[in-house]
Amino acid sequence: MPENSSPKRPKLAWEPPFIQPHRVGEINKFGRHRPREARVASVFGVDVELLKKNYGSPLFVTSEERLRANVRRIKKAFAVRWGNTCHGWSYKTNYISAVCNILHQEGSLAEVVSAFEYEKARALGVPGEMIIFNGPNKGRAILERAVAEGAQIHLDHLDELNLVEAVAAAQGRKARVALRLNFDTGYSEPWSRFGFNLESGQARQAAKLAAASPHLQLCGLHSHLGTFILEPRAYGEQVKIMCKFMREIESSEDVQIDVIDIGGGLPSMNALQSIYLPPEQVVPSINEYAEVICGTLIEETRYRSHTNRGLPKLVFESGRAVVDDAQVLITSVVGTKRLPDGRAAAVLDAGTNLLFTAYWYNHKVETTGEARGALADTVLFGPLCMNIDVVRQSVQLPPLRAGDSLVVSPVGAYNNSQWMQFIEYRPNVVLVHEDGDVSVIRAAEDLSVMMAQDRLPEHLATPFAPVRGAGCNRFDAEAEKQAKTLRPFRICRG
Amino acid sequence: MTDSLLAGALSQCSGDRLRQLAVSDTGFVFDPQTGQSFTVNATGRLVLDCLKRSDGLEEAAQCLAEDCDVPLELALSSVEAFLMQLGRYL
Amino acid sequence: MRNWRHWKVAVTGINAHAENPGPGLAVARCLVEHREFRGSVLGLAYDALDAGLYDHDNCQSSYLIPYPSAGDEALLERIKVIHSLEGIDAVIPCLDSELQNFISLRSELADLGIQMLIPSRDQFNLRAKNHLVDLCSKIGVAVPRSKMLTDPGFFDRAAREGFEYPLVVKGVFYDAAIVYNAFEAKAAFSRLVGKWGYPCLVQEVVNGDELNLAGVGDGRGNLTGFVMMRKRAVTDKGKAWAGVTVVDEALHATASKLVRALAWRGPLEVEVIKGTDGKIYLIEINPRFPSWIYLSHAVDRNLPVAVLRMLAGEKDLQLTQHEPGTFFIRHARELIVNLKDFESVLVNGYCGGDAVDRSA
Repeated sequence: MPENSSPKRPKLAWEPPFIQPHRVGEINKFGRHRPREARVASVFGVDVELLKKNYGSPLFVTSEERLRANVRRIKKAFAVRWGNTCHGWSYKTNYISAVCNILHQEGSLAEVVSAFEYEKARALGVPGEMIIFNGPNKGRAILERAVAEGAQIHLDHLDELNLVEAVAAAQGRKARVALRLNFDTGYSEPWSRFGFNLESGQARQAAKLAAASPHLQLCGLHSHLGTFILEPRAYGEQVKIMCKFMREIESSEDVQIDVIDIGGGLPSMNALQSIYLPPEQVVPSINEYAEVICGTLIEETRYRSHTNRGLPKLVFESGRAVVDDAQVLITSVVGTKRLPDGRAAAVLDAGTNLLFTAYWYNHKVETTGEARGALADTVLFGPLCMNIDVVRQSVQLPPLRAGDSLVVSPVGAYNNSQWMQFIEYRPNVVLVHEDGDVSVIRAAEDLSVMMAQDRLPEHLATPFAPVRGAGCNRFDAEAEKQAKTLRPFRICRG
Repeated sequence: MTDSLLAGALSQCSGDRLRQLAVSDTGFVFDPQTGQSFTVNATGRLVLDCLKRSDGLEEAAQCLAEDCDVPLELALSSVEAFLMQLGRYL
Repeated sequence: MRNWRHWKVAVTGINAHAENPGPGLAVARCLVEHREFRGSVLGLAYDALDAGLYDHDNCQSSYLIPYPSAGDEALLERIKVIHSLEGIDAVIPCLDSELQNFISLRSELADLGIQMLIPSRDQFNLRAKNHLVDLCSKIGVAVPRSKMLTDPGFFDRAAREGFEYPLVVKGVFYDAAIVYNAFEAKAAFSRLVGKWGYPCLVQEVVNGDELNLAGVGDGRGNLTGFVMMRKRAVTDKGKAWAGVTVVDEALHATASKLVRALAWRGPLEVEVIKGTDGKIYLIEINPRFPSWIYLSHAVDRNLPVAVLRMLAGEKDLQLTQHEPGTFFIRHARELIVNLKDFESVLVNGYCGGDAVDRSA
């Protein structure tokens, strides 16, 4: 081809021709208008195309700097208001090892809810006494380990209380335990399936039993309101109720409560599908929460200055608020189509298999290149062969093309733990270090990972192998004849 | 797309029916027969203009392929899809 | 600063659904019909079928703006474009769901020379449906027993929680339904949540007269101007269809107490029920003018104009006492829209009496 031939400039930018009828109630071309700068060429300071080139697509990108800044900010909000505070990192929110260790380096305890999470924390090098062991299903074996290693065990039900007592008795130890409580704050629906109910007197009975046991040291109270709690006053009410209960059992039983654990549930700047306004309008600042929580705590523990009891340590287990905006997902357009109703649609290489939270949240979706045309209502489908695999039902995007990159955010909370292995490999997760270096913190899966746990009995070692023995005779003759005609390669010896 | 479907769509939006449509430079389309209004994109407008001049499907696709600098087959299949869409709305 | 009489005032909520009109067109009418006002009104609309877009008698020109759910940045960007074309002096927001965006933008818009008499975020939140009970119990105003809901299971155990049917179920921003049993309640709940998101408010029904007060707070605890109205007839949805100005001291006292407690800045509507026992029960506080605000012009207490005068820094508005006994009857009439105007709204998001190209 001659060097100097300049490409002919087309008169019209290519876009498949389409016509869209105007429907009542949705005629506003500025309606879902987005500010112009909704376009990102880089994430956490690293070029998107470079990341894709080096680590493939889809790709989770995590920021060490953001993660550390988030947890410091949240800790500070509480620490300046209540001296004795501690953050418990909720493993289930994101248990990639590097993420956990960044938070442990920041001084966070490990808050685990299963045998797997407990073992993972220990494998990462977290000492037992730095572990809070929550969750409704703790088997005997893992409890034996947790008791021996001095973890703080949060009791969920009476059977568990008895089991921990038996385990501790057998080891001749005193297990450190806290009671998980549930009650109605009047603000959110109570999660009454977890822990001991306060209103019915269950919690009081459990406290009595724990206090009376020579093998249990009841040192804390714990409750967890729910998730994405947008009302700071709900926490105020929670603290008030917990302190009242603390005072009650300390006066009636021989116990000393050192820990008030208010659980998690603080929201992030993500857009819940069931909330009309954008998150910037509805999510209160972390300081508003800290103000109500610590203010109530100061008020409700004032009486302790007249007693010889110290002030309890405030433990909070924020997961989402710490990690959500510290991770984004880069995904690529595989193909585009125009739906029969006129809407634009794109198929992506990442769907609800990687973005479990897309079922509840409208994640932000940004393009990386120059817009090729006007924004239009677009549906984003994932790669799964399931109709419900939709990343966004409706988002304003410029015309897309196969190969385009999209950046989905925030995705740090609950995706790297709830993602599912269905027909696709899970991709690389990388970390952008504080100095700007990038490294893989969870390698992409491949066939060996997927098959590592499979076990093939000897007679199933190869497909299409002759079926030996009297197998054929088990079927009735007619069915066998059919089977033979259907599968000509199946040889029946016998 | 089957030929009969396409033929149906074509017959519905060919000739007079299409010429009735008021198409403005802005992409605003008004159908005086049904009272319905539409937005058509720039390539759609080009195709509509061709068809209103009673160009055939192939001529319209040719026009589109030239103006956008895309392969004729792509233009042709897009015009067919566009016709199907018109057939549904008109 | 220009004299308020010559301002260009942007007004939102210019939809005029026959059964449930937004307040914007009534506010626009109050302004343009006031004897001293020489300026003009600019309509800001959310849908091509918002009547104000085409009502050039009241809105000289009008523009589409992004839905409240698109957030404040999108709104600011659009308003900047409109401002560069029109030069806006003040905005009177007229819808609940958009107010938080305008609150976020107050200083940015002030920098552009656009003024608004609106509450702070704290004031706005304190009067929200989910905080109202707290506020009222603090200052001794009665409210019907209420509860915020995210779980429709409540309707099965309502009696156990001390709620008796019929109940009112309200959406977080708009809309309400009276329900007589758990079945109806759940249907209303899912409809409201589907449209406006969580949570819903459930409230016991109090029998009595529905009284409303429209007023303007000066931000220092004073209720500067007010007009009181009793609904005489309501639509199926409970919206005023006919009403009459009244003077009710108990309502005035309640509204003054609320405005003082909130140090409310800007327009508001206080909705109460005067029970058969003579007691005032607060139903809700709306952070904007009501759609019957034209009545204030009719009784020579033009509250939208009062807003402009307050923004202009006038201290003594000298509003006259309003007389009871002025009626209004709401009626619908057809506004004629030509195809060119409709096309301009669809294509440019603009409609005006002139033929200038405002495509942005």
